[in-house]
Amino acid sequence: MAGNKGRGRAAYTFNIEAVGFSKGEKLPDVVLKPPPLFPDTDYKPVPLKTGEGEEYMLALKQELRETMKRMPYFIETPEERQDIERYSKRYMKVYKEEWIPAGPKPKKAKDAGKGTSLTNTADVLKKIEELEKRDDGEKSDEENEDKEGSKEKSKEGDDDDDDDAAEQEEYDEEEQEEENDYINSYFEDGDDFGADSDDNMDEATY
Amino acid sequence: MTQAEIKLCSLLLQEHFGEIVEKIGVHLIRTGSQPLRVIAHDTGTSLDQVKKALCVLIQHNLVSYQVHKRGVVEYEAQCSRVLRMLRYPRYIYTTKTLYSDTGELIVEELLLNGKLTMSAVVKKVADRLTETMEDGKTMDYAEVSNTFVRLADTHFVQRCPSVPTTENSDPGPPPPAPTLVINEKDMYLVPKLSLIGKGKRRRSSDEDAAGEPKAKRPKHTTDNKEPIPDDGIYWQANLDRFHQHFRDQAIVSAVANRMDQTSSEIVRTMLRMSEITTSSSAPFTQPLSSNEIFRSLPVGYNISKQVLDQYLTLLADDPLEFVGKSGDSGGGMYVINLHKALASLATATLESVVQERFGSRCARIFRLVLQKKHLEQKQVEDFAMIPAKEAKDMLYKMLSENFMSLQEIPKTPDHAPSRTFYLYTVNILSAARMLLHRCYKSIANLIERRQFETKENKRLLEKSQRVEAIIASMQATGAEEAQLQEIEEMITAPERQQLETLKRNVNKLDASEIQVDETIFLLESYIECTMKRQ
Repeated sequence: MAGNKGRGRAAYTFNIEAVGFSKGEKLPDVVLKPPPLFPDTDYKPVPLKTGEGEEYMLALKQELRETMKRMPYFIETPEERQDIERYSKRYMKVYKEEWIPAGPKPKKAKDAGKGTSLTNTADVLKKIEELEKRDDGEKSDEENEDKEGSKEKSKEGDDDDDDDAAEQEEYDEEEQEEENDYINSYFEDGDDFGADSDDNMDEATY
Repeated sequence: MTQAEIKLCSLLLQEHFGEIVEKIGVHLIRTGSQPLRVIAHDTGTSLDQVKKALCVLIQHNLVSYQVHKRGVVEYEAQCSRVLRMLRYPRYIYTTKTLYSDTGELIVEELLLNGKLTMSAVVKKVADRLTETMEDGKTMDYAEVSNTFVRLADTHFVQRCPSVPTTENSDPGPPPPAPTLVINEKDMYLVPKLSLIGKGKRRRSSDEDAAGEPKAKRPKHTTDNKEPIPDDGIYWQANLDRFHQHFRDQAIVSAVANRMDQTSSEIVRTMLRMSEITTSSSAPFTQPLSSNEIFRSLPVGYNISKQVLDQYLTLLADDPLEFVGKSGDSGGGMYVINLHKALASLATATLESVVQERFGSRCARIFRLVLQKKHLEQKQVEDFAMIPAKEAKDMLYKMLSENFMSLQEIPKTPDHAPSRTFYLYTVNILSAARMLLHRCYKSIANLIERRQFETKENKRLLEKSQRVEAIIASMQATGAEEAQLQEIEEMITAPERQQLETLKRNVNKLDASEIQVDETIFLLESYIECTMKRQ
């Protein structure tokens, strides 16, 4: 509601002296747009600290960044299929351990025919494990199109799992118990839907 | 969680764990506690990947879980813990200064892996140390174990909560997720292990091209088949203890700057004596008598008892009130006011920011208002001895940036503006919060800029890496100078220039991140201790 301007002359409701403007002085312009993205600074920032400690920490930081990328905790996003398989890709692949914090390891990864009684949580877990292994096996197929093939990769994944058995034992229970979280029969094929399956789709070749 | 914090968490998670973990982590930070299926549904990722991501996050203590009623397990992310990832280099460097290389590597392994058993840590660290030693020498496990025990004794590493051992076998179905417990007494208890062995040097044949290690891997794993004696006892780095150490460091250096070296040594001694007796969130340390302090001074310092007493009196009378006198028995009982010290440090940070951003006259006004608590505009001009126009301008600038606030005191019940006092005041807590928020934004900007710079020059970086690899392999097979020269010239001079600039910029950005994190630490400590007090 536009207030009454007071017969053509602006009159303030408070004492303008109190905020520091003398009577009749030109007030600063109203700002009509947001402040600039990179405003000019009158004062340049102080230079960074330098010293032995700072340099060491800097080197540490950069090293840690590189190391983290190579750790098994860094989960790569599955790449979309390239149009042309680059020859150099296989030789530039960074070697990384498999870290699968899962339950009891099946003795043979290829045992896909193992009977699963869904009432037993351990077996349910093994089934998930096999599906995982199969997924990993297939993923490694396209990433690693050498003659080695999926068997060796999953076998080596197995060895790594044995390596890391101690680390994952704590998670055994967690993983196992998690399966009770939802109705097994409902999500029987649940693992297959989702992003992973896209990787295995053989595109129609004409 | 503010938007700035969430953005920073997202950048950190992405840099350290990849995009999938980042997606899950940020979703949990945004939406709070969620069960597994809801996470998978809301983020649109497959259950398998969600499980993997959650495992990584839980392993690194970034996400915790809880069993709710009806057996539903919910996962919750700890945003503040994610932000600690910025501080990893500082933790590792501090351990290096205290426990040298062995300690440094132990803490590094624990931070990189989240949780590890003692035997795993010892083995990894021994292997790494052996790599750096000369040929023929190896690192003994015993030495590494000793350093580990020392770290546990001084509380720098602690046990993770573990599954409780239930003697009775519950006939019913086990709970969906175990509730982890840890006994206070056991937290720093090192299991009795007899780790015998030496570090193994990685065989040079293993360092071949990527294709090779697969064939060699099975050989490595055969020697890990024996059962691990301390299975189930996992250790993590105790970040609170590190923070306590940083706080002590900050106080000691503040005293050194304000007074002299000797007083800072006295304060350091007092803090060291109170390390075990005082909890990290206490407002004061336990009272220490002057006699005790005299006995505990470091060996090199031989100041007489009287001089010590004089220093203590001086410290206690200082307006900053870092040290207070709490009694007269035992030659005088002295405490260190931890909360007051943190408040002073935070205030000093604020003053320094105002000075660097707005100039020293603004800083004078800021300090004036801090001291006098509430001032009218006229009074500010008079006390600061700054002409009215400039004073007004500066006050408004600080007001608009939220370093100051206005307090209205009405003279009449109708709050008429012409009859109201407007007083300028500084609320340290809210100014600190505002500054902290800005720090988060700054670091997010720094990280983004660094990623942008690296992406821009990706092609050039890859080329230089390839050239380096070629040179290294050629040197290994013994090439001539001329050939090496030729290879080096593959990178032209302007490209070299570009690489130099890139390296300098990235270094600067990284160093800035580390230093902004120091400010974040001070402000967060201050805010935390003030909130606890209220």
